[in-house]
Amino acid sequence: MGYIIKIAFKNLFRSKLRSFVSIIAIAFGVMIVVFARGIVVGMVDSVFADHIQYNSGHIKIIDQEYQLKERLLSLNYPVDGFNGEDLDVMIEALEGVNNVELVIPRLKFAALVSTEEELVTMSGWGVNPDKELIFTNIGDILLEGRMVQPGRQEVVMGTALLEKINAKVGGKVTILFNTAYGSLKGVTFEVVGRLDTGLKLLNEMVFYLPLDQAQRFLEMDEEVTELLLVLPDRKMVSQVLPEVKELLALEGGGRYLALGYRETSDLIPLMDLSEVIFNFIYIFLVLLSCIVVINTMIMIIRERTREIGMMAALGLEKKEILQLFLIEGGFMGLIGSLLGALGGYLITAYLGRVGFDYGQALSGMDTGILLNTMIYPAVSLENTIFAFVLGTIIVVLACVFPARRAIKLEPTEAMREA
Amino acid sequence: MALLELKGVRKIYRQGQIEVPALRGVDLQVDEGEFTTVFGPSGSGKTTMLNMIGCLDKPSSGTIIFNGKELNELSKKDLAMIRRFNIGFIFQSYNLIPVLTAYENVEFAIRLINKYDNKEIRERVLKILAAVGLEGMENRRPHELSGGQKQRVAIARALVKEPKLVLADEPTANLDSKTSEEVLKVMVKMNKELGTTFIFSTHDPLVMDYARRMLEIRDGLIAEDRRREEINVSD
Repeated sequence: MGYIIKIAFKNLFRSKLRSFVSIIAIAFGVMIVVFARGIVVGMVDSVFADHIQYNSGHIKIIDQEYQLKERLLSLNYPVDGFNGEDLDVMIEALEGVNNVELVIPRLKFAALVSTEEELVTMSGWGVNPDKELIFTNIGDILLEGRMVQPGRQEVVMGTALLEKINAKVGGKVTILFNTAYGSLKGVTFEVVGRLDTGLKLLNEMVFYLPLDQAQRFLEMDEEVTELLLVLPDRKMVSQVLPEVKELLALEGGGRYLALGYRETSDLIPLMDLSEVIFNFIYIFLVLLSCIVVINTMIMIIRERTREIGMMAALGLEKKEILQLFLIEGGFMGLIGSLLGALGGYLITAYLGRVGFDYGQALSGMDTGILLNTMIYPAVSLENTIFAFVLGTIIVVLACVFPARRAIKLEPTEAMREA
Repeated sequence: MALLELKGVRKIYRQGQIEVPALRGVDLQVDEGEFTTVFGPSGSGKTTMLNMIGCLDKPSSGTIIFNGKELNELSKKDLAMIRRFNIGFIFQSYNLIPVLTAYENVEFAIRLINKYDNKEIRERVLKILAAVGLEGMENRRPHELSGGQKQRVAIARALVKEPKLVLADEPTANLDSKTSEEVLKVMVKMNKELGTTFIFSTHDPLVMDYARRMLEIRDGLIAEDRRREEINVSD
């Protein structure tokens, strides 16, 4: 076997340009795979993270009826504790469930701001600021000012929303909303912070205010619209969810619904599907670059017909001749995949740091869709190794077809044909 | 002692509906240590007969016995093993592997038989290269060698595994007469020193001068089988 490997390696240098072109083609294919996979994984991770942080937590608890009215931000179906007890008791009970690290209350409501030209619709989120800072990345996207504080009549808004309502940090804004009893109310808040993020929902639609203030103005004391449960890892949802459901059934009298994060997103199943589709696209991409290798191998085998005959005459078995060409292709695959994986890793790492904005492409998209306009491709060693192995294996497999021609040649025929 | 026996060997090639007989019932016995040439006009069946003897092709009918084994009964893999261990080939156009040095081309053949350790392989390869007059040229690649030197490498490659039989198909066809003579002398020397059996297919009268047995083939049959006294070849 050693001598076959040696000859296969030396054969790479017979036509340096041809080997170089084949290797570059493979490298290019593998590089695209690393990069494309980085984008997809980055996008999927971002969709998961944004959805979990700003929509569902790992598990979301809402009133059964609220599920149907959630888009309208109805205040008629709140989460207000178990059987008339305080909400805090319910939160405490939920925090007692194994692996629940945090319970985050949110009170979401529809609101309006009137500018001189138009009425701007918004979504108000009454939150516990400390818990939000722990769970979400608000701290990172808060570009100006600070987060709201309990007991204060203040709000934090996204840059685009502030622009829309002609307000800025330090200024005042009067917000109109309906209370839980349906009466229209207008309250003036101080803008204490500005968020800037690629997430259209946060940038253009949402304003944060302290939960106690939201409850006071909406006349929803000890009430929220949802509770989000935070677990150490999203993979633990399937393990924790049954326990939470059991607790809700026991204490909540079947009024509340516990939903895993997958159940509350239309985008996540799409992302799962896209990952599967992209896996096929990766294989297709590498196969495409393999056309160059297949072509090279066909040429090589044509050129070396006499040599194949000679080797058979010297007593090389068919499988050894096959090995010779597969190893030669394997070397090209190995070197090309290595270069491509390294190149792809570096490009992905760079773009993973600076990110790239595709906001223009999503400009017409509904703000309710939690899709970040900034993509940060995910650089990972696992992804790089995957592309490297995939590249090498597919190139070797692609070489089987032309190499089979070599082993079909009878020695006498091969020597006569050349 | 007979190394090789052909009994009523026929070979028919088919070209569509037409059958073209290449060998029409050849009977032949070759003893160990013979230095034999097979000659005859183009298309007479020389190469076909050499291919049968070299286990590269099977006869349409008849029997070939090599080293006591009947070749007709063997699988392709078994035939490959016979070629690997017992037969050396020398080709008209040398067929050296261009990316390997002279040393590596010869080493390739001995590595195949997987019989010797690295030290022995090195000793044997260097010895045979020296014997064919290529001492000091071990690291040259085929493109750095003359035609005669390439053919010497091919001879060394055929002999390094000490086969029982060496088949040479027009070994001097691409060489000038001076180089041909040098190459032939090397083969005669190897035949004497190692006792290896040589069978040549040739048109070259010079090769026939060196042969101790001459088989003339005509129309797929051995038309003449002549033997003569040993030839003295000086280095």
